[in-house]
Amino acid sequence: MATIIYLNANGETQTVQQDKPVSVMRAAIENGIDGIVGECGGQAMCATCHVYVDDGYLDRLPPISDDEAEMLDCTAADRDDARSRLGCQLLVGSPENDLDEIVVNLPATQV
Amino acid sequence: MTSHTGSIEAPAAADWVTLDDLQTDPFPVYARLRAEHPVAWVPAVNRYLVTSFDACHTIELDAETYSANEAGSLMKRSMGHSMLRKDDPEHARDRASYGSSLRPKAIKETWQAIFQANAEKYLADVLAEGPGADLIRLFAAPYAADNLRAVMGFDNASAQDMQRWSQTMINGTGNYADDPEIWALSEQSSAEVDVVIDEMLPYFRQHPNSSILSGLANMPDALGIDAIRANMKMTIGGGLNEPRDVLGVAIWALLQQPDQLAQVMNDPTLTPTVFDEAIRWIAPIGMYPRQATREVELGGVLLPAGARLGVVIGSANRDESEFDNAAEFDINRPRKPHLAFGGGAHYCAGAWVAKAQVAQVALPMLLDKLPGLRFDPDHEARITGWVFRGLLDLPVIWNA
Repeated sequence: MATIIYLNANGETQTVQQDKPVSVMRAAIENGIDGIVGECGGQAMCATCHVYVDDGYLDRLPPISDDEAEMLDCTAADRDDARSRLGCQLLVGSPENDLDEIVVNLPATQV
Repeated sequence: MTSHTGSIEAPAAADWVTLDDLQTDPFPVYARLRAEHPVAWVPAVNRYLVTSFDACHTIELDAETYSANEAGSLMKRSMGHSMLRKDDPEHARDRASYGSSLRPKAIKETWQAIFQANAEKYLADVLAEGPGADLIRLFAAPYAADNLRAVMGFDNASAQDMQRWSQTMINGTGNYADDPEIWALSEQSSAEVDVVIDEMLPYFRQHPNSSILSGLANMPDALGIDAIRANMKMTIGGGLNEPRDVLGVAIWALLQQPDQLAQVMNDPTLTPTVFDEAIRWIAPIGMYPRQATREVELGGVLLPAGARLGVVIGSANRDESEFDNAAEFDINRPRKPHLAFGGGAHYCAGAWVAKAQVAQVALPMLLDKLPGLRFDPDHEARITGWVFRGLLDLPVIWNA
């Protein structure tokens, strides 16, 4: 089970739960969560699925790849060195990692 | 048969659409299609045209239903079967073969300086010609061509070669009239590009650099030569005409809007905003094809399995239900995502390179070095096209 909790810039909370593993970006697109665009479909190419990960989950995240790191320097909203990630690179509910649940803050803008 | 077949209508035929009208100015056609039938059968182009933002966006999000691997594709005949006409997972392997050549780090470390030098070179030609110079012929086209030559690793080709190859193969891609002369020129260009690739691949094995071809030459698990050739030809088309056209449209738009031009002159950090609004306003690639893999409801109508679609992002970007005053070029509009770069797996691989060469280098330089830039009152600029839309020429004057 994957549980993703999105807190948008207006302070509203939306939760997505599903059985299959899903990325923070893909779950937002498929469930109409405003605040994530995901133009490139998950290739770490467009920097429009930028999220700020809640402090309680930072130690369970996969490492930042070179591709993701350079995109995080291209985000529309300011990068937070500790909490900024691309939603497309965060797979939730997969048996291959320890991330069945995550809370992310959405930036005010993606473009 | 699915149960809803009876209740959902078949798409209406928009038999009033003509190729001439689309070519000259597609936007009134798009506006009427969006208002009447945002998913319509259009006999003139032998496709269903999808013109609303919502329906175009739906297609982008569902690659299983809307395949890029179109049957009878003229692009496959003209350029070979490139990644642009493949679906994942085949597409993903081709796409990954471009490595980091088009990404921001390579731009910063390698390409930016080359773009700067090329811009200075062609600015000198514009200044030598003097007021009345055509910014497309003297700057935008050769500048985009030389930049692309470097990025692709086509060291043994000239900017003129690149322009001729791009145009003749794109003409083949659009050769719905099956004109044998167009096919002959397209095939000749295709053969010449094959020679360039065959020469450069062994060279780059000895002398690697940041170019796409060098990356392809040194991949541990190399792509087949047919895929390399097709992808290179697709990249010549998309990598030359599109940055050329967005640069032309951006300047053409600013010259029509003196207030916005003055605003950008006072604040050069706005050039990325100008770039983004220019591609929203006139998407350089206005339409791309998809094919339905199953019977599917889209925009309130039922498309048959195998339906050949034209995804008209040039229209989606002017959809009033998504953008206020969508027909206006306005750099001060609220920033919103648009569809000019496409979306999903086929999101434009050259997006960052285009932004760098147009918004970071060429636009600031032209606005700075051509003070008082304005239209040449004696020669009107001409714009044309719908699948690809751009300026044919852009004669300008300035305070020399």
